[in-house]
Amino acid sequence: MAESSGTDPTVDSNVVENAAKDRTMIVVTVKTPKDKEEIAILEDSSVAQFKEEISKRFNAKLDQLVLIFAGKILKDGDTLNQHGIKDGLTVHLVIKTAPKATSGSTSQNSASSSGTPQANSSSSASSPVPNASTPPGTGPAIQPPNLLSGFGDLSSLSGMGMGSANFMELQQQMQRQLMSNPEMLSQIMDNPLVQNMMSNPDLMRQMIVTNPQMQQLMERNPEISHMLNNPELMRQTMELARNPAMMQEMMRNQDRALSNLESIPGGYNALRRMYTDIQEPMFSAAREQFGNNPFSALGGNLDSGVQPSRTENREPLPNPWGPPGTAPSESRGTGSSTTTSSNGGTAPSVSSLPNPLGINASGLGNGVFSSPGMQSLMQQISENPQLMQNMLSAPYMRSMMQSLAQNPDLASQGSNPSADVSPSQQQQQLMQQMLQMFAGGAVTPEVRFQQQLDQLSAMGFLNREANLQALIATGGDINAAIERLLGSQPS
Amino acid sequence: MVVVTLVTYRVKVPRNFRLLEELEEGQKGVGDGTVSWGLEDDEDIMLTRWTGMIIGPPRTIYENRMYSLKVECGPRYPESPPFVRFVTKINLNGVHNSNGVVDTRAVAALAKWQNSYSIRVVLQELRRLMMCKENMKLPQPPEGQVFSN
Repeated sequence: MAESSGTDPTVDSNVVENAAKDRTMIVVTVKTPKDKEEIAILEDSSVAQFKEEISKRFNAKLDQLVLIFAGKILKDGDTLNQHGIKDGLTVHLVIKTAPKATSGSTSQNSASSSGTPQANSSSSASSPVPNASTPPGTGPAIQPPNLLSGFGDLSSLSGMGMGSANFMELQQQMQRQLMSNPEMLSQIMDNPLVQNMMSNPDLMRQMIVTNPQMQQLMERNPEISHMLNNPELMRQTMELARNPAMMQEMMRNQDRALSNLESIPGGYNALRRMYTDIQEPMFSAAREQFGNNPFSALGGNLDSGVQPSRTENREPLPNPWGPPGTAPSESRGTGSSTTTSSNGGTAPSVSSLPNPLGINASGLGNGVFSSPGMQSLMQQISENPQLMQNMLSAPYMRSMMQSLAQNPDLASQGSNPSADVSPSQQQQQLMQQMLQMFAGGAVTPEVRFQQQLDQLSAMGFLNREANLQALIATGGDINAAIERLLGSQPS
Repeated sequence: MVVVTLVTYRVKVPRNFRLLEELEEGQKGVGDGTVSWGLEDDEDIMLTRWTGMIIGPPRTIYENRMYSLKVECGPRYPESPPFVRFVTKINLNGVHNSNGVVDTRAVAALAKWQNSYSIRVVLQELRRLMMCKENMKLPQPPEGQVFSN
């Protein structure tokens, strides 16, 4: 009786269930690079059974799953026991995504063939593009939308994501690749087809509009649709997009200008507010924008002009040099004379901005900023210091600016010498500017943190000095400042 | 049974203890889940031969591929670095094209080995190398090939 526990009613029910084969459930953690799940399974299961459970839990097909344990791949025919997988251990899972979606690696080996199916799917979605891009020159006789097929690695990004289902991913990948490899970018841009396409504002507009994210964005922010409808603006942006180095340069300069404006008294907080208001929609959407078009918003529109600085992390610091006369500091004056002399094409009209920092749109950015859109933006911005402050309030911007200030080389390295107008010397000067500015402290912290100071004193922190210090240290974060104060207060 | 050397004033953990620890870590999946390692043979009392697996990093040409490696921890491990070689064919700077042996001088973790390093560190370093500009686009042999020998 004692032996046949299967029939003995006094025996624990668990044992009864498992008694026949003495099987036990074990809990195994399955970890992907992204997440992890705990899966309960019988100890003596086979890998195939384990995969079944996994495929249910992770919503993936069986043949997409690859399991790794202790450095070995688990084959379907093996058992968990064979590999020593016990309760509480971790198995690594790789879910192979379909080759098409991941582009990149697989298609590099078979540039044309994988480019084709993508081009097929994308060509249907965008009507104007195939027409415009039918002329040859794209490369090995692939579908017309496959603009990039000539460029080896980028062939997988064919179609430039013309509204295809993979639009976002392609875009992101392309952007990433373009960002990381300036030569690739210039290669693309040099392609006459691309240039052709880019010089057609309607086309660009269409491409942007078909991006669902952009559509969302446009709903939320009607200014963007205005921006898109302005052919002048589009053309300018395309100019920029065409020349990636120019783009980089412009971004840097824009950032410099922005940070300069931070020092306009009283504007900081307003800028911050403005920035947070528009931060979210533009940030996510702008990532998807084709050809780094954040600047198109910048050109024509005050409000949305904030976003470009928000989206591009590598944003440069603004060129503090204004025209002679309005420049607050002497050194800037010398800098600006060099700048203005090199700005062959800049419009002199904006030279007299009522801007204490002398941020002159035309003086900005070594000739690249000469677009009237940019100038008008800067004008508006300088008239509304709040905007600038908002733009600059992003914490990352501060740290980035600081790092840029500390590392003058960084800024000068960014620009691609081949297409650039500015001598690196200017940038060096600029960096010194930035250093000075930082050393001298921008707006008095007191002014900046006025609101916070009030709050703190209302809370009972009467030591204004200490409050101020704490606020400065935490960059305006009230909660952190309070903690600091509490930590340092003598009990 | 901790061995304290008179010369270095540092606790020197015995080799097997270290390796057992690494074995456990490998089974528990310590780390970010992009590399895995374990004993090649569970009966290996000397804990010498290990297999490792590196999951090819995304956005590189190695993406979605799994690279199998053999790691051999000699008797002087962890004072001396282990021998590492790729089993799965790979085209990577620092890996011999003929037999997959990893050049000790090419991998920082091996070249400047410290006894606090581990198999995981080596595998992760190799994976990091895959993400380097000079490596991330190297043309690769078709999947599934292994180095002979």
